[in-house]
Amino acid sequence: MYKSGVALRLPPHSKDMSPAKKLHILRQDEFDRLLRWLDPDPERAGLTYEKIRWRLVAILASRGCTRPEELADETIDRVARRVVDIQDSYVSDKAIYFLGVMNNVHHEYLKRPLPPRPTELNDDVEAKEKTHRCLEKCLDKLTPNSRRMIERYYAEDKQAKIDLRKRIAQEFGISLGTLRLRALRIREKLQACIEHCMQMETL
Amino acid sequence: MAGNNENFEKDNASEFSDETIRRFLLGELSALEQPLFEQSLFTDDGLEARVRLAELDLADDYAFERLSTHDRKSFEQRFLLTSNRQQKLQVSKVLRDRFSANAAAGSEKGTVAERLRYLFGLDRPAWRIAFGVLILLILFGTAWLVIKEPRIAEQITNRIIPRRSPFPSAPREAGHPANTSMPEHQITPSPMPLHDRAAAPPVGVSVALTPAVSFQASEMPSLNLPKGDQDVVRLQLVWKPDQTGPYRAELVTKEGSSVFSAEALKPIDSGAGIDFDVPARLLKTGDYQVKLSRVDGGSKGSVASYYFRVQ
Repeated sequence: MYKSGVALRLPPHSKDMSPAKKLHILRQDEFDRLLRWLDPDPERAGLTYEKIRWRLVAILASRGCTRPEELADETIDRVARRVVDIQDSYVSDKAIYFLGVMNNVHHEYLKRPLPPRPTELNDDVEAKEKTHRCLEKCLDKLTPNSRRMIERYYAEDKQAKIDLRKRIAQEFGISLGTLRLRALRIREKLQACIEHCMQMETL
Repeated sequence: MAGNNENFEKDNASEFSDETIRRFLLGELSALEQPLFEQSLFTDDGLEARVRLAELDLADDYAFERLSTHDRKSFEQRFLLTSNRQQKLQVSKVLRDRFSANAAAGSEKGTVAERLRYLFGLDRPAWRIAFGVLILLILFGTAWLVIKEPRIAEQITNRIIPRRSPFPSAPREAGHPANTSMPEHQITPSPMPLHDRAAAPPVGVSVALTPAVSFQASEMPSLNLPKGDQDVVRLQLVWKPDQTGPYRAELVTKEGSSVFSAEALKPIDSGAGIDFDVPARLLKTGDYQVKLSRVDGGSKGSVASYYFRVQ
């Protein structure tokens, strides 16, 4: 959502808004004020915003909320609307403030939970082919060592996971924990690269 | 769950374990664990980074079917609720298709061995030492057997490697049919080993031949060929051998072409003659001569001739 060096725009509102949201639509100036409150530097503010949103979604999903992204957006909207009142007086960790508001939003949700949104797994052939194309492109961008590690890490039989990973770790001269961490970091890079590639292909 | 709480408090004192992070993602933390974890997640960037990686790991495990039935259900109901996580799972599936497919072909053969190795823990040093000792014992045992019990070793060797000594009456078949003018090369088949004697082809026809001096139609015995390709015609060469042999018998056509021969023949037990077995398939209608000679060292001396007709 946030790109470095680009002003963050108000996120699009979801179709299914909570009752509180219907009372007041967040304005762009309120959103900009929220970002300035988070950090005077726009780039850092954008990163903080993304982090807070990701954490809200993760927590709400863990609590069993069936619409975690919508409730996270609702939480951010409420905080943004209140920034004008608290920005001079609130001195504690700003991220924790979001957590408090999220608890209220979640409490309201529990009184009248929304039906779960059907899982939209994109399993059609075209989407898969596109993802495969992007994977190949992103694999080409990896260093030879990273590529070799990721290929070995994923070329495993499901029953022999631990056994094989021990051998790969020995092969690379690292511990099992380091192997997992390195492989997942490469995987993280691949994920970001593929998502970016998919967006570019859609445009 | 009490056990989980104890672990959790221990985790919280230092840092959260990977198992706790995974339980958070699957929505399985207890009421006591959940708020503490949430608070930490909002204040600890390191924990956030670990949770992000754990999300990828979990999506991979789901795509690679490494989750238990219970965890799969939790994954679908509690984890797969955001579009971002669904994208992660999509990439995990593509990674599985891309890499596991390549590995499957190569590892298919090794899969059973790999699993057995893994199942019995054959990589453990104890197993390696045990196998090493076993191999040494087998080697010492074999060496002892050969040194101390040569007769047993000989018996074993004889069983494994059958004797290749030539069969006393090993026949030789001419490499061309009778009554033709084919080249005179001969094919000498490998001598039959001893144990093949029992499997000698059946005698289809047996005829007694007395010595004669020429092809005389009126006196020549005649025979009808047996129908089986594997049958042999036994020519009983009547003659009172004065020497033990060995003898050589050669079958030739009336025109003088060699059809078949047998070396190292010995008189039959009664001493009334020599049996000369000829494969029936080599015989065709016509007159034949059998030349019997005695082989003495390198020299060969003619003993008698026999004549017969195939009808």
